[in-house]
Amino acid sequence: MMAIKKVVIVPCSGVGKPFGTITREAAYQVTEDDRPEDTRIIPLSLLVLGDEEAQAALVGAEVISIDGCALICATKMVQESGGKVSRSFNSMEIYRANRDLKPKGIAELNEAGLELANKLAKQVDQTVDELTGKAEENA
Amino acid sequence: MPELAQMKVGIISCSGEELPEGTVSRLAALKVLEELRPGETVTICLPLFLAGGEGDRAFAKFYPTIAIDGCDKRCAYRATEKYSNTPAAGIVVSNLIKEQGLQEPTGCRRLDQNGLALVDVIAEQAAEKVDALLGKPWSRRQGQFIPSADAPEEKPEPIQATCSCGSGIPIQKLLVDDQEMTFVALPLIFQEFIDNGKSPTEATLEELMSAVRLYNPIAPQLEAATTAAIDEAYRSFWNNERGQNG
Repeated sequence: MMAIKKVVIVPCSGVGKPFGTITREAAYQVTEDDRPEDTRIIPLSLLVLGDEEAQAALVGAEVISIDGCALICATKMVQESGGKVSRSFNSMEIYRANRDLKPKGIAELNEAGLELANKLAKQVDQTVDELTGKAEENA
Repeated sequence: MPELAQMKVGIISCSGEELPEGTVSRLAALKVLEELRPGETVTICLPLFLAGGEGDRAFAKFYPTIAIDGCDKRCAYRATEKYSNTPAAGIVVSNLIKEQGLQEPTGCRRLDQNGLALVDVIAEQAAEKVDALLGKPWSRRQGQFIPSADAPEEKPEPIQATCSCGSGIPIQKLLVDDQEMTFVALPLIFQEFIDNGKSPTEATLEELMSAVRLYNPIAPQLEAATTAAIDEAYRSFWNNERGQNG
């Protein structure tokens, strides 16, 4: 029986705005805390460089991209690297739905930023469950 | 032809999420940008070299850059070199750990004490490189340092519009043949011409176009329309500046 690939999470690696850090934090929450058995991170920098191992990890895998701005680098890089984005998220959309939470800090997010990251991670968790067929199990 | 003055050093981090060293590189870059040399440094997100536009890809030609990488794959250095220009300097966290016998960090998401100490070491080293690079004249035309004998006199340069990632490269959009086109460094070029008292004449336009072509490839079929758009934009810029300065 063929091994099922883990769902690949590709967050934005933005260093200029808190929205980039929110994607990173959400990706860590999903892959380290919430769904470690079913997910793994692929660093965007490896895809930018064209790293063959990173590209191979995308092939045939369900990929979730998490972007931090309108330029959607993570989504574009997955597509350019031969991967298929199963679902894309954007931390700016989470903020638009929760405007009372104003994120600050890039190196270290404030409480509002961490809360946004948590909300984003929960949405990603749900998508992971749908993709792995574990939606009922984790409900 | 203007030689646009250097004003800042670009810091590019790998930010690799899979290794603690990637987090070290990211936090060290941010420490330089936010605390150690905030007035002298700018950054750009690495993937913008591919996902962004011409302005983003011009980054390492426009600024001498320092690439901070977590491991010896050197994604930041090599991707910058491949898509923009060869970095002026590079730091590899994992190499530095070996060379200096430092403790290895743990925790990609939250660095341990070793990792935090490394951030300080790397950031200090990068800040020293920033100081060293700022002491040398940089040619944005060539994307390399100018030999000291040929260095132009330094001129203060205002920070103008930034691209969407905050890299600090001034760009300007013009309508060329009914299409919006982005011109890298155009505000700086205009300012340089204004500072040199070059009024909008035929000769100035020819000189302007030579400067514009250095940073912006222009398709032959758009040459005439681009020249007309630059002419109009410079006349407007000139009139505004003259109006403001009496």
